Amino acid sequence: MTRIDQFESVFKSADKPLFRYEPFSVGTPLVLTDLDDEAAESFAVLSGKYTGAGGSREVSDQRVIKGADFATIEECLDLIAGEKPDLICTYRGLHSDCWRWGQSLGSYVEVLTQTVKVPVLVFPHPASAAETIAAAEAGCRHVMAMTDHLAGDSRLVNAALFFTPAQGTLHLTNLEDQQVFERYMEAIDKIPSIDSAAARDSVLAQILKEARDYIKSCRAVVEEQALDVEIQETVELGLHVADYKRLAAARDVDLLVMNTRDSGQLAMHGLAYELAVELNDIPLLLL
Amino acid sequence: MSFYLGWISEAHPAVPAWVTLLFVSILTAMILCLAFEEKLHAKKSVIAGLFAILCLLLGAVFGLLPFGPISVGGHEINLPVYIPAIDWGVIAIILGSSLFVDVTSRTGLFTWIAIRLTKASGGDPLKLLVFYGLMTVVFSAVLNNVTAMIIVGSLSGVSLKKLQQEDKLLGFLLVEGLLTNIGGLLTLVSSVPNIIVGNAAGIAFIDFFLKSSAYVLVATIVTIALGSRLFGIHRLSSDEEREQARELVAGFDENDGIESRFFFWFGAMMTGLFILTIASTSVLPYIRDLGMGFVALSFAGIMLVRYKAVADKFYEAIDWDLLGFFAALFVVINVMEHALVLQLIGTGLSTIIDAPSDIAAAGLLAVSAIFSSVTDNIPLAAMLAKILQAREHVPEQLWWSVIFGANLGGNLTPIGSASTLVAVTIIHKYKIKLSFAGFIRKALPYALVHIALAIIYVLLFF
Repeated sequence: MTRIDQFESVFKSADKPLFRYEPFSVGTPLVLTDLDDEAAESFAVLSGKYTGAGGSREVSDQRVIKGADFATIEECLDLIAGEKPDLICTYRGLHSDCWRWGQSLGSYVEVLTQTVKVPVLVFPHPASAAETIAAAEAGCRHVMAMTDHLAGDSRLVNAALFFTPAQGTLHLTNLEDQQVFERYMEAIDKIPSIDSAAARDSVLAQILKEARDYIKSCRAVVEEQALDVEIQETVELGLHVADYKRLAAARDVDLLVMNTRDSGQLAMHGLAYELAVELNDIPLLLL
Repeated sequence: MSFYLGWISEAHPAVPAWVTLLFVSILTAMILCLAFEEKLHAKKSVIAGLFAILCLLLGAVFGLLPFGPISVGGHEINLPVYIPAIDWGVIAIILGSSLFVDVTSRTGLFTWIAIRLTKASGGDPLKLLVFYGLMTVVFSAVLNNVTAMIIVGSLSGVSLKKLQQEDKLLGFLLVEGLLTNIGGLLTLVSSVPNIIVGNAAGIAFIDFFLKSSAYVLVATIVTIALGSRLFGIHRLSSDEEREQARELVAGFDENDGIESRFFFWFGAMMTGLFILTIASTSVLPYIRDLGMGFVALSFAGIMLVRYKAVADKFYEAIDWDLLGFFAALFVVINVMEHALVLQLIGTGLSTIIDAPSDIAAAGLLAVSAIFSSVTDNIPLAAMLAKILQAREHVPEQLWWSVIFGANLGGNLTPIGSASTLVAVTIIHKYKIKLSFAGFIRKALPYALVHIALAIIYVLLFF
């Protein structure tokens, strides 16, 4: 390694993305259900507890689309286009009974997350385990934003901050993929000119440091904005789905916030899909 | 030439003229090889080392070398003939100061300064050019010009990319490369030609600084102003642009490279103390006898205590090629001295040196600059220092002509100095096209201004 590279690395490492606070706003949420009048209203109340439509925030107009309003995905998308919402609140297994087996979000929700540009707040199905819905009805205290690359993702953190109430806890979680890391380390182990042990330590330290530094800047901004929110960090290597499930359970999370779109990717981001399917007992905000 | 050879043969009948000519051709071949080291894919130390072996062998064959014991402090000791040929004082200064700078850079001090200045500029291109320019000069003076170019050049690449001003990178790197050779004139230890010529001329550190600083100041201002004009580096025009740039540079964390606060402040204190001690070496009792090499090595040793368990990593990072090159070069020059080559060149140069003083000073400065632009300025400085040392009553003007010429010649071509070569390496790293001729075309206005200013300065103030 030349000294030019050494100093360039020092300066690149010092160049850190800073969290930019741009308050996420939900002015016109749309509640999308396949339920009829009373059940649909009660689901609207549940989603209102998350979005603030219950009165805690300024939500101008919460619209509700009921089961009788649409019969196909196309009709559903047309209705959404007409409403122009900035958030859609729905639940897994919309217009489907797939929620009974927990292996899918259901075709409506899967299409929604990819074709509609606004975030989708996905609850467990209202007819699923009563305790899950009861917990959701208690409101949102602990929010977890999770990703495998947190540094620079201000949109994710801003969205998670919006759903974290005063005196609530925001868990910022960056879980680097252990399998990918090990794959690269195996390749490095076979290159004689690279000190394998030093490379393992340095690469791991650097990828974890980037996320930690970003969380530090999030904390600084939250303090500066006087937001009464506690930020807790989890930055580690892990086996994604299993570890995210473990972390969500251990932190008693009320809402998981995650990205679902990758640039140029037509289907849902691989990890997001796995998580959305697996974490079927927690409300999810899919960005 | 035949007149000079005849004169030398008469004065030194032991060395036949054809032998002197043979060594002249060897010296010319070495200088050419050093000029084309990139083409030869050979390191300087290997080139100079092979020529040193050849010179020693031929020197022994022709009976030119003074074999036998040498006297050190009244004691006769046996040393191989090539050992006393090397100027160990110079080697000690270079080894000690490069080790000291390398360890001190681990404290995060230099990167801290560099990032603080970047943030202070608010990301404004013109302010950045001024700050980076000044930083290049100061780092070149305090550290060495290669390290200065590496630090400031790599930061320029990273920060201009972040500011989406990559189109200005060529201008920044070129101006910084040229300023390393201006900063290299500021102190006695800022560049190797200064150390060699300054030691030979007996110029003290403070004296050197006082006499060169006015020139460095003027040349720096002129270079930055010219750089801003020729490369179109101006201030940001709107408040929105300024705000955006400020936000972008705010992401730099100057504390990122600092492993330990204590070591950071210790490094800062030691750097200050190092400069102070080097500056006052000639007046400090005991220290003046031990010399600047001792000071540099001692400071490096103290700094290494922090990394005592991994000190070998720093030894690995020492530029052994440069040190090997110096050692071999001193041997070659020593043999050349015995073969009367230096005397021949000195006689040849006497046309310039013995001219009226102003013409001599201007001529020597211009000749030194031209020669050091096409080959390494270190052999040139070493050779001219030896030639001047051999003469009686050398005016101060001439020593300074060699110093200015040897340093500033590096700005004429990309191979003229190690730091401009580093600048070109960074330029190519960022995939900016710049040929050898392209560099000369862009650098020529600056180099001519530098040399013209230096001639005026030497004529007016010495």
